[in-house]
This record gives sequence, structure tokens and C-alpha cells, in this order.
Amino acid sequence: MQKRHVLKFTALALAAGLSAGAAWAQQTTLRVFVGPNQRPDLQQKLFQEYNKANPNVKVEIETGGATSELQRQYLSTVLNAKDSAIDLFLIDIVNPAQYSSKGWIEPLDKYVGGPAVLRTDYLPVYQQSNVIDGKVYAMPSQGDAMFMYYRKDLLAKYGVAEPKTWDELAAAAKKITSGEGNANLQGLSIQGAPIEGAVCTFLLPYWGQGKQFNDAGGKLTLDKAAAVKGLNAWLSMVDQGVIKKNVAEVKTPDTVNEFKAGQVVFAINWGFAYDRFKDDADSKVKGQVGVMPLPAMTGGKSATCMGGWQWAMNAYSTRKDEAGKLIKFLSSKQASAFVAKEGSILPVFQSVYGDAEVNKVVPWFKDALPVVLAAQSRPMVNDYGQVSDIIRTTTSAILARTKTPEAGVDEIAARVGRLMR
Amino acid sequence: MSMAQQHGLWSSPMLRWVAAGMVVVNGFFPAVWILFTSLKPEVELVQKPITWWPHAPTLDNYVRAFTDQPLLTYLKNSLWVATGATLLSLVVSAFAAYAIARLNLKHRQIILTCIVASSMFPLVTLLVPIFETMRALGWLNSYAALIFPYVVLNMPVCTLVLVSFFQSIPKDLENAAMIDGCTRMGALWRVVVPLSAPGVFTAGILAFVNSWDEFLLALSLNSSPAVRTLPVGIALYQGEFTFPWPIISAALIVSIVPIALLIAAFQERVVGGLTQGGLKG
Amino acid sequence: MLSKLRDPSEKTLAMMLLAPAFALLLAIVVYPIGKLVYNSLFAIDKGGAFLGLQNYVDVWHDPLFWNATQNTLLITLITVPGALLAGLALALLANLPFKRKWPVRLSLLLPWALPLSFAGLIFAWFFHTEYGVVNDVLMRLGLQNEPVSWLLQPRWAFAAICLTIIWKTASFMALILLAGLQMIPRSLYEAAEVDGANLWQQFWQITIPMLMPSIIVALIFRTITALQTFDIPYTMTKGGPGEATETLAMLIHKYTIDYSDLSFGSTLAVFMFVISLGVTGFYLNHIGKNAT
Repeated sequence: MQKRHVLKFTALALAAGLSAGAAWAQQTTLRVFVGPNQRPDLQQKLFQEYNKANPNVKVEIETGGATSELQRQYLSTVLNAKDSAIDLFLIDIVNPAQYSSKGWIEPLDKYVGGPAVLRTDYLPVYQQSNVIDGKVYAMPSQGDAMFMYYRKDLLAKYGVAEPKTWDELAAAAKKITSGEGNANLQGLSIQGAPIEGAVCTFLLPYWGQGKQFNDAGGKLTLDKAAAVKGLNAWLSMVDQGVIKKNVAEVKTPDTVNEFKAGQVVFAINWGFAYDRFKDDADSKVKGQVGVMPLPAMTGGKSATCMGGWQWAMNAYSTRKDEAGKLIKFLSSKQASAFVAKEGSILPVFQSVYGDAEVNKVVPWFKDALPVVLAAQSRPMVNDYGQVSDIIRTTTSAILARTKTPEAGVDEIAARVGRLMR
Repeated sequence: MSMAQQHGLWSSPMLRWVAAGMVVVNGFFPAVWILFTSLKPEVELVQKPITWWPHAPTLDNYVRAFTDQPLLTYLKNSLWVATGATLLSLVVSAFAAYAIARLNLKHRQIILTCIVASSMFPLVTLLVPIFETMRALGWLNSYAALIFPYVVLNMPVCTLVLVSFFQSIPKDLENAAMIDGCTRMGALWRVVVPLSAPGVFTAGILAFVNSWDEFLLALSLNSSPAVRTLPVGIALYQGEFTFPWPIISAALIVSIVPIALLIAAFQERVVGGLTQGGLKG
Repeated sequence: MLSKLRDPSEKTLAMMLLAPAFALLLAIVVYPIGKLVYNSLFAIDKGGAFLGLQNYVDVWHDPLFWNATQNTLLITLITVPGALLAGLALALLANLPFKRKWPVRLSLLLPWALPLSFAGLIFAWFFHTEYGVVNDVLMRLGLQNEPVSWLLQPRWAFAAICLTIIWKTASFMALILLAGLQMIPRSLYEAAEVDGANLWQQFWQITIPMLMPSIIVALIFRTITALQTFDIPYTMTKGGPGEATETLAMLIHKYTIDYSDLSFGSTLAVFMFVISLGVTGFYLNHIGKNAT
């Protein structure tokens, strides 16, 4: 009798051990690199959901590099060393071309489908930014764009309508600031420091004239006169007192903090700012913030800069199949709707903007959709790092008045032209 | 302490206090500014005219500094790494410095130049190969990954400082000790090092602060939060588009306090008269 | 064998003492430096072809390289003597007989304890047009009516950066000089007093000569670090306005990290090494020769 029990027990134990061993042997751990400001907490929830549906896949987050700069620093070291420890990374929208040219990221076509997949319901800009040489190199996760924020209360007080052109905006700003008589009130706040956002500062009035910076092949198609005109538009606003004189010192957080403190009428900034204006405890402009598309140059059309974050796969990863499946999940409509609802993150799918549940939590996304649809991608070229540096440094110097717009544009055309042929 | 300085110009206490005041303001001002900032809410920072003392001092930033990130863990990691690197740096550098300063080496100049030359390359260009080395050794995300490179980073300064101090100790003292039965190594540890104590503590403080504040290697090699050090942690409070000065100031104060305590504790040793008795004119 | 270990010959002892240092150097930096030189000779990002000295020629013809080198050398020429003078003054002050010594000594060393990148950010804030302390104080004192944009004008930005660097590094210099001051025997001054030497003479004939070894050590490292100036201009102006405050180390950082062009970045690093060696070479010779 005892012998049979022992045998049964041993058999059971063996079976349990074997199946546990088998299950353990099949378990894959994927490591994912997310910056601390891309809501790793929300990504964590998505990973848990994925884990429920795929119990043999565990996902670990590695947080590093709080800013695009620091991330680039870290990833540059790790990827130049061909490290396989990380499988997926969340990268800035401007990075795919540069990373793929270095062989750091893997084409995703066989995991998510070819470029055609980006034509279904995703925002149109991703067809420009994520497709390189006909292959998909990154999948959208978090959207972002530059919006024009304004003080609803002040515009209402002075009976000013939403300006559609920059000239109208300058006039509106002057009317309001002279009416308020507050020396600290700025008409318009833009970013002129040599940060990535300055590339947008250069491109916004240029695109606003309907001009293109490069053609589909990545060749530079800069209309110098239009570029000079765009830069002069900013400079003339400085001269008129609409934009402050030390604009070349202004970084993204400065605009946000000043608008929050009630010191700005119009402000250009990324989408995250809306929640800061609305929810921050020390915000003095709660409930008074409006959002509108960027004005156009007279005779042109409204355009804005697309931002946001994308999922890319490490070309040196040893777990590509599992990583590919994870990317598909993370760039799905459900994932986008989830982060939109939970984190007010701009969706990457057009239909999610009008989704009833999302609109209950973030009603302003309805206003955001037309802006995002008009968003354009910054030049997707292999040497984007250098191109961006040239544009932002020169633009900042022009705004600091240490270079004339003509000289600056010539420099950009010459130096960027050598890189974008 | 120079007797001469007690006479003439400096005997006027007024002048001494003014001078001291200038030195203290120069040294403390930014630290005090950071301290005040750590007690302000962010919106106060864009007020015009700017405020110095916070309107309504708050400790919220310190709470957030500790809760937004595991600041205590970072502090612990920094302490371990910096202390380990300092002790190892001192030992390695002291050995090398003694050899260079005292022993009859043919290629003394070249050896010294080699040691110092290693600091003439910008670290950013050496990052990738160092990363590869640490990965090959399996040391990524460990204290060792930082301690050994830090010893190499500190070696030039520590060695050179110790060489110049060892050189200034008269040889007779060592010879006396060896006649009394000491070996050369014994003479090193029992005579030379104690007499060059200011140099040793100086080299130690240099090594400690350099290791404490090092950023690039710490970012690249020890990216896991469990082993992250303070400078990298502090850089993480900022966002892509936000730079919360108040919280970062709080974290900076937390980061400076150990060093300030260390300096305050050892400044006597660095500056004070351990050498008064040992040297004859 | 054992007796040899207990009291080894000088040569063996020298080798044993130098072994740990060289082992570490070998393990940690020799391979990276070798790789660096290799990178500069091959087009590692674009196929791996042998470039010979093409990179070096390209650097020589690059106006941005010369701009950066000029800025770097200027910063070195200003901040090395500047930090030495300020450091010497601070060290002498800290040496004075105060009843409570620690405040002066702590304030001496505190600037140096602040992490470099944050020192840059803090001073950038001090020099900010609207929120900076400098403008606030100057306007309160009536020395100016309008806020000045210090960091947006090339010359002033350069000056502000040099000032910050001197502030930060004077304490490093003071630390080394202070320790050196402590090693000067009091008896020397006493003897000089007896001989009738005044304060000034004592300073030049006793203090400075006795301090010379420490001064040279401090100078060597201040110079090497000055040639590698990165954090402070990077955080204060990012090299701006334009490239007015861009240093060689910033250019290297740009190419290595932002453009991910390791080949060109490595070439620039070799140039930096050569410049550093050239500038500090004769100091090093001096130290080596001075061995007793």
C-alpha cells in the first residue's frame, strides 16, 4: 500500500517538476527601455495586460535618460556596443531614420505588416516619419504636436476672435497687452533656446507658407526667401513687443511656467502642457485655457510640428519574435485608447480622438484632432542629429540677433544641403 | 601656519573679517540659493521681481524628492562607490607615487606621463569600449563597474599630488627608520604616509568628490535603479519638457550634505598641523 | 624568495608598486584608447573602409574645429591663471588664524563639491535675463536700469562662462595649495623674521618657492581639465549664441553622441590629446626631474 502511494507521489512530483520546468524553460523576459516621463506606470499596466494574455512572457521596464538628450547619450553607448540586453525602446519621433542608418533598429514589417498598416486609421504623419526605404522601422505609441494655447478669458474680454494668421495674432496680442497694461504680460511665448523645439520654431512659419523643407527622397528643398520671411515674422513680433526680447533664452518649461502663472496670452507648446495648465495646484489659469490650430502665414496654411514617441526594436535583440508580438500589441488601438484615457496622452489613431469614452476624460482631444492632422514630420534623414543641431543653433543665434536671418538661412542651406542630398 | 601672516596687514581683525566674509559668501552663496529654492513652490520661480527668501517655505519638495525616486538608495550607492573608489585610489596611487618619488627608476618621466596622459582623452570617446569591457566581465550594473574606472580616473591627480608630497619629505627620516630595522614598505607606511598626511587627505578628498559627482560612466554602466548613483538620479527628476528646480534643489542639498560633512570633518586633517612636529627646519 | 619579498631589490619593489596602477590602466583605458585611434582611421559607421589620414585632413580644414579650439585655448588662458590666483588667495585666507576655522574652509570647498553640470545650470540661472540674481542685484544697486541678456551676447556669455569656471575650480586649486602651505615649516618664517625680511619678501622667498611643487601639480590638472571644458558651457549656453562659446570637448560630444559619428569624434579626441600633451608636457618634465 505505502509503495503505491510513494510511486504515485513520485510520479506526480516528476510530472509537476517536468511541466514546471517546461513552462519555466519557455518563459521569455523582454526588457523594454522607457524614459521616466513617458509614463512608465501606464506602460507597466499595458505589460501586465499583455502578460495575462501571454503568461510565458514577462516584460521588465528599464527607465533611463529623463530627456531625449540623456536617452540618446545612454542608447548611443549601449547600441554602439551592440548590446542585446534591451529588446524594445521608446524613441522620439525624430530618431527612426538616424537609428536605422546605424543598423540599430530592426525593420518591423514581418511583425506588424508593411507600410500599408500605417495607412489604416493611424495619423497620416507616421507614413512620413516611420517608413524608411519602404520599410516600417517604428510603431507609434504616444502622439504629440505643437498647439497654440491661449487665454479664453482675455480674448473674450477684449472681443477678439481666434486669430487665423500671424498678423492677426500679433494685432490681437497687442490689443490685449496694451489693454491690460501689465508689463509682465507677454503677447506670445515661443521657444528660442537652442533646443530641439527650436527646429520647430524655424519650421512653423516656413511650413505655414505652404513650403516643404525636403522632398520624399530626403533632398533639401529649402526656399531661402520663405525661410527668411518666416524668421523675420518672429523678429518683427519681438520688435513690436509681442514676443519678449530674450526669446533666445526661452525653453519649453519656461513657456509652460509663465503661462501657468498667468503671464502669457498666446503660447506655442506641446500637448502635455494642457494638463499642466488645467490640473497643477499652482496654476493660475485653470479653466481659462483654449486650444487652437497654429495660425498660418498670410496666404499660406496652418501647419504644426509632430512630436511623440515610438516603439522600435533593438536590431541586436535575441528575442525578436516575442518582441515583435509585443510591439504589435503596444501599438494597437486599445493601447492607444488606454493611455489616452489614463494619461491624457494624445492618441496615434484618428478614430480614438472621437472615441466617446476618451472624450469623457479628455474633452479637448476633439479640438486637438484638426491640429494633429495638419502636423508635419521634421526631416527624416540619416544625419538628423546634425541637421537638427545646425537648424536649432542658427535659429537661436538669429533670435538672439547675433546673426541676420539672411546669413543664418544661407548657412543652413549650405551646411544642411551637404547632408541632405 | 605662517607667523608672518599674523603681523602687518592681517593683524587688523576688521580686514580679516571682511576677507573671511567674502570667502564665505563666495563659497556658500550658490548652496544657500539652492537651499532657498528647495523650499519654494515652482510657480514662485517665475515671479518678477525675483524672490530670495521663500514666501511660504515648504518641505514638499523634499518629500517629493524622496518619493518620486528612491533617493536614499541612490545615496547609499553613491556612498559605497565613492568610498570604495577612494580607498582603492589611495592605495594604488600611494604605491605608484612612492615608486616614482623615491625609487631609482630609469623611466620615471615616461611612467608619470603615461599615468597623467590617460586623463587627456575626453571620457565620452572612451565610453563604448569601457562599456564593452564591463559587459565582458559581467560587471554591468554593479559597484565594481564604477569603482575600478573611478580609480583610473582618479589615478593621475592622486598620484601626482602624492608624488609631490612624498618628494618633500626628507629622505633621512626614512633612512633613519630603515636603519632601525624597517623595510622599505614599512618605511612607506610608517614614516612617509603619516608625514604627508595633508597630501593623503587631499588626494582622498579629491578622489571622493570626483567619484561622488561623476556622471557619464554612472549613467552608461549602472542604469538599473538599484545601483544608480546620485548624479544620475538627480538628472532624472527633470522631464523632457520640465525642469523642477525646487525638487532638484532638494535633491542637490541631500547630495551635498554628506560631502559637506566629510569636508568639515577632515578639513582639520587636510589643513591642520599634523606636520608641526615632524619636520625640522 | 621570501626574503626577496620582505626586502626586495629596488627594481622588484618598483615593479610591484607600479603593477596595480598599470594593471588597471591596461584593463580600463588602454583598449579604449587603442579603439579610439582605430576608429579615427577607419570609416566605422559607413562600411569600415580604411581612411588613412582622411579624417585628420577633414578636421584640419573644418572651420568649426578651429573655432572650438580657439575658444578652448582662450578659456584655458583665462581660467587657469584666474583659478590659480583666486585659489592662492583663498588658500592663504583659509590658512589664517581664525577662532572657528571650519566656515572659511567649508566655503572654500563647497563650490567644488557641487556637481559640475548643476553648477553650470545654477550659474545659467544666475545670469538669466529675467530670473537671474545678477541682474536683480545690479538693478537694485542702481548700476543698471534694464536687465541685460548676459548669455545672449557672445563676449558676455564667454565672460560669464569663464567666471563660473574660475569660481568652481578655484576651490580645487585652493585645496591642493592649502595642503602644500601646511607642509611649510614654521621655522623657516621664524628664521626669516629674525633676518629682518618683511611680509612681501617672506611670501616671495619662502611661500612661493616651497609651494612650487603643489602649484605645478595644481596647474597641470587645471590645464588638462580646462582643455576639456564641457559641462559648464554646455549647460549655460549650449555653445551659443551660434558657436561663440563652443569648446573642443563640446564638438567631440556632438559628433560622438548627437551625430553618432564615432570616426570623426575619435579623430577630434586625438587632436585634443595632442594639444593637451603639448601644453602640459613641459610641466610634467619638470615634476619628473624634481625627484629627490
